[in-house]
Amino acid sequence: MDAMAEAAVWFWLPAVLMPLGLWISLSSKEAMGRALGRCLVLLGFVGVVLTPWTVPSSPSSEAGHLLGFIVGPSALLLVGLYLIAFSGNVPVGRLPKSDRRLGVGATMIGVVWFTGMHWGDFTPTLNGEVNRYWLVFLPTFLLLMTCLCSGAALCLRVIGVQRSTESNMLWFVSGFVFLLLVLGMTIDGHAVDSASFRYHLWLAGSDLLGTAVGLSISILVFGLVIYWHERGLPEPQSVKPPTDEELNFVANIVAANLGGAEDE
Amino acid sequence: MSDGKLVVTWRAMLVAFLLPLVSLWALDLTLGGSVGAGTDSLPRFANALLTSYTLGSLLLLGNLFFYADSRQRPLAPLIGMLAAASIGLLTTVFLLNQGDLLMEDNGSVRAQVLYNLVHMFVSAGAILLALGLALGSTFATITAQKARRTILEEE
Repeated sequence: MDAMAEAAVWFWLPAVLMPLGLWISLSSKEAMGRALGRCLVLLGFVGVVLTPWTVPSSPSSEAGHLLGFIVGPSALLLVGLYLIAFSGNVPVGRLPKSDRRLGVGATMIGVVWFTGMHWGDFTPTLNGEVNRYWLVFLPTFLLLMTCLCSGAALCLRVIGVQRSTESNMLWFVSGFVFLLLVLGMTIDGHAVDSASFRYHLWLAGSDLLGTAVGLSISILVFGLVIYWHERGLPEPQSVKPPTDEELNFVANIVAANLGGAEDE
Repeated sequence: MSDGKLVVTWRAMLVAFLLPLVSLWALDLTLGGSVGAGTDSLPRFANALLTSYTLGSLLLLGNLFFYADSRQRPLAPLIGMLAAASIGLLTTVFLLNQGDLLMEDNGSVRAQVLYNLVHMFVSAGAILLALGLALGSTFATITAQKARRTILEEE
């Protein structure tokens, strides 16, 4: 099997299985279909993570390598926030208070893990070089995170009523992520120096802007396609007005059901 | 909320969203500026735009199947979206064939197209994670506060 076919079988096929499985899982109305969808997602995920061993020669395997590296801290952060959120004041599905401490612990470990991947000894490296997709992932993630938290903080303050405390907490989160970015720009990491980080931060900004513009255009085109199709449809056929016989029939039914005790 | 205030609110939120980005830009320029990324930023921007447009169109093409369920399965919108996605793909290939205009560190057009796809998956992962964490943080800060009592005053 040549290199292209190997990459198609061991990387692209599992990569396609993930969105396909997700689609089947979300759109299926039967339990069997949903289970099949989840199995496909899991199978695809495992297949992509294993690419550094199955197709080590393919450059795309770096994405699988990165996925394997970031799945741990990402899961810790998401699960941690879930535990924190649902052990608070929620009207339904409230978790025990002890889960809050667990959530805070998981979130902190996730943050330390991620920072350790830049400044510590566990930067994703493949064949002695830093995984190039790590240099895409980290700046994009941090840049968008600080911007979103800043926007959400102001949103809470302006739109929400008496939400200053919550807004300040979000500004703290945004400031913390901003500080991580500034540290990345000024202090060399274990395997990535600050100049390289600054360079990739610019590229991440271009990437985010390009993605936003591209998606907006595709949504606009989608709207235009639907609009043109709907505009080209013929007028629906009008039904004939009811005859006197039909009107009398309806009037009799209405009259038979009117009445009852009158208010005094 | 009046319309005038609503406009100010949207502008303020946009400014708050962009504030960290502008601050980082200013800081980067102060630090000597990796302005060299400027020339590399353009191909990255264009590649991200074309890839996200093409993938977004394909995603919305899949979405049209659900739309078609309520419209006796018309073919015209499906063909329209397929054409839109094809235009994105053909434009990408055409521009990649124009020398070094959109080529990054890849040896061939096919390698660049595949790199764009994988790059987009990684970027999408980072975007989804950032969105999830920002939403989760917002929700967690709201639920962390004490329950409010609504006092209804009789008029």
